[in-house]
Amino acid sequence: MNNTEHQTGKASTLQVAKAVFWSFLGIRKKDDLDRDAKMIKPHQVVIGGIIGGVIFVLSILTLVKVVTS
Amino acid sequence: MAVVQDVHGHHDHHPSGIMRWVMTTNHKDIGTLYLWFSFAMFLVGGFLAMGIRAELFMPGIQILEPELFNSFTTLHGLIMVFGAIMPAFVGLANWQVPMMIGAPDMAFARMNNWSFWLLPVAGMLLISSFFVPGGAAAGGWTFYPPLSAQGGLGVDMMIFAIHILGASSIMGAINIITTILNMRAPGMTLMKMPMFVWTWLITAYLLVLVMPVLAGTVTMLLTDRHFGTSFFNAAGGGDPVLFQHIFWFFGHPEVYIMILPAFGIVSEIVPTFSRKPLFGYASMVYATASIAILSCIVWAHHMFTAGMPTVGQLFFMYATMLIAVPTGVKVFNWTATMWRGSLTFETPMLFAIGFIFLFVIGGFSGVICAIVPIDIQVQDTYYVIAHFHYVLVSGALFAIFGGVYYWLPKWCGRMYDVKLANMHFWLSMIFFNVAFFVQHFLGLAGMPRRIPDYSLQFADFNMISSIGAFGFGLSQILFLYIVIKCIRSGEKAADKPWEGANTLEWTLPSPAPYHSFETPPVIK
Repeated sequence: MNNTEHQTGKASTLQVAKAVFWSFLGIRKKDDLDRDAKMIKPHQVVIGGIIGGVIFVLSILTLVKVVTS
Repeated sequence: MAVVQDVHGHHDHHPSGIMRWVMTTNHKDIGTLYLWFSFAMFLVGGFLAMGIRAELFMPGIQILEPELFNSFTTLHGLIMVFGAIMPAFVGLANWQVPMMIGAPDMAFARMNNWSFWLLPVAGMLLISSFFVPGGAAAGGWTFYPPLSAQGGLGVDMMIFAIHILGASSIMGAINIITTILNMRAPGMTLMKMPMFVWTWLITAYLLVLVMPVLAGTVTMLLTDRHFGTSFFNAAGGGDPVLFQHIFWFFGHPEVYIMILPAFGIVSEIVPTFSRKPLFGYASMVYATASIAILSCIVWAHHMFTAGMPTVGQLFFMYATMLIAVPTGVKVFNWTATMWRGSLTFETPMLFAIGFIFLFVIGGFSGVICAIVPIDIQVQDTYYVIAHFHYVLVSGALFAIFGGVYYWLPKWCGRMYDVKLANMHFWLSMIFFNVAFFVQHFLGLAGMPRRIPDYSLQFADFNMISSIGAFGFGLSQILFLYIVIKCIRSGEKAADKPWEGANTLEWTLPSPAPYHSFETPPVIK
């Protein structure tokens, strides 16, 4: 796959996960953001965001359980 | 941003007189209506605030009976949140979003008219509730039961007003989302959108998510009051704390609904007057999304003292403190944008810098309140009042002032009186801090909120706070004078009065023609 095809192709699960992770931190490189915008479809962001949100909540809950155990 | 466009050949015919405003479907007219309505409500809410501060000027009951005082605090909060701040941002969105994305108007022009004209009805319901038997709602702007289950007709009027305001907000949000997603000019990709448009897109999604929750909450309250249900009535097997959970599931995202568009405005102003592109545009977009997501999982930090397991307290404490991270990213980016920029300090920039400085203070006191052991001490004290006024007055309101001064030349084709506008900033800045900084001390000393009388040890700081509040209130009359003077007799403004501005609205003539971008510009 050449670079042009890569830019307009479908995003991998890992790429969606990375985009969601960086959105939780609120930091992203401009180039990566441009690539995300070209490749990631809105429904991928929504599904990735929901899964990311659940993981995020479970992570905090786990931390709380560890602290209080 | 390179732009190819045709601004000629517009037909500016439209109804005249009062019917222009009643029937209008033009985004600029509706934006103007929103802004004037929000300013009128700001004056009403401000009048109530002056009443509160006059009563609190010295210990003892002087002006307002306790019941009326409670109504003043309740309606002050409701009117400022739902009548002043939110409509002002929607007004700015109506004016700016189509022009900033190269669209001719909002997507649903008639719904836009309807969503505005619902507002005066709701506003009148709230204000007129003072004059019905039993008076206006007096249980606080959060209208917790059992107080809100016990009030008179005023509470029902408040519930109805909130239903109407919610419907208006949802319609406005749907309109903004559809406009941004479907009506951008060719070449205006999502990643080329100005930050103000981005922040409003995310805000609109938040509105669609949480306003129905508020509508459900007030409907349950209404059925508890009149139809024999017991959702929140402990005597019937219900739970008043349930109300607090679902209210704050709406209420905390609501805080971000009122601050994200402010972030957008500041993100437009700071690069313009720093003559540099916004530092970390991508990060700003991601941080806005992050704040919106996190805002939905922190609601119970408003109710640490309501009774909650330790696990719950810690969860909401950690989640709340994490919101400081993306917010910090934003503050860092604004500061980095200014770093080594060719800064000038026109009035919008003064308000933007004032915003950053004071919002950080409000943000820090928010993190302090997020810590459970501290929050249990300061819950329902003036510390919390100080915190959220630093966020909503020197945050949201200062950004609105900055936005108005920034775009006023584009709206009316005339420049405001710079000296008076700068004076408005400095008076607001000084009096705001005089009014609210001392409230941190009052809160830490234990003065509770929503009381018309207090112990003698709080007298000095209350007097200082009241003087600051009166000064702040009077300063806003100056703002009204500046805007009217600008519209009537301001000097002719250039099409692009700010040399560092480069968003699409500045390619239009000043004042912006009644119909703009009927032929979409091409963004290259």
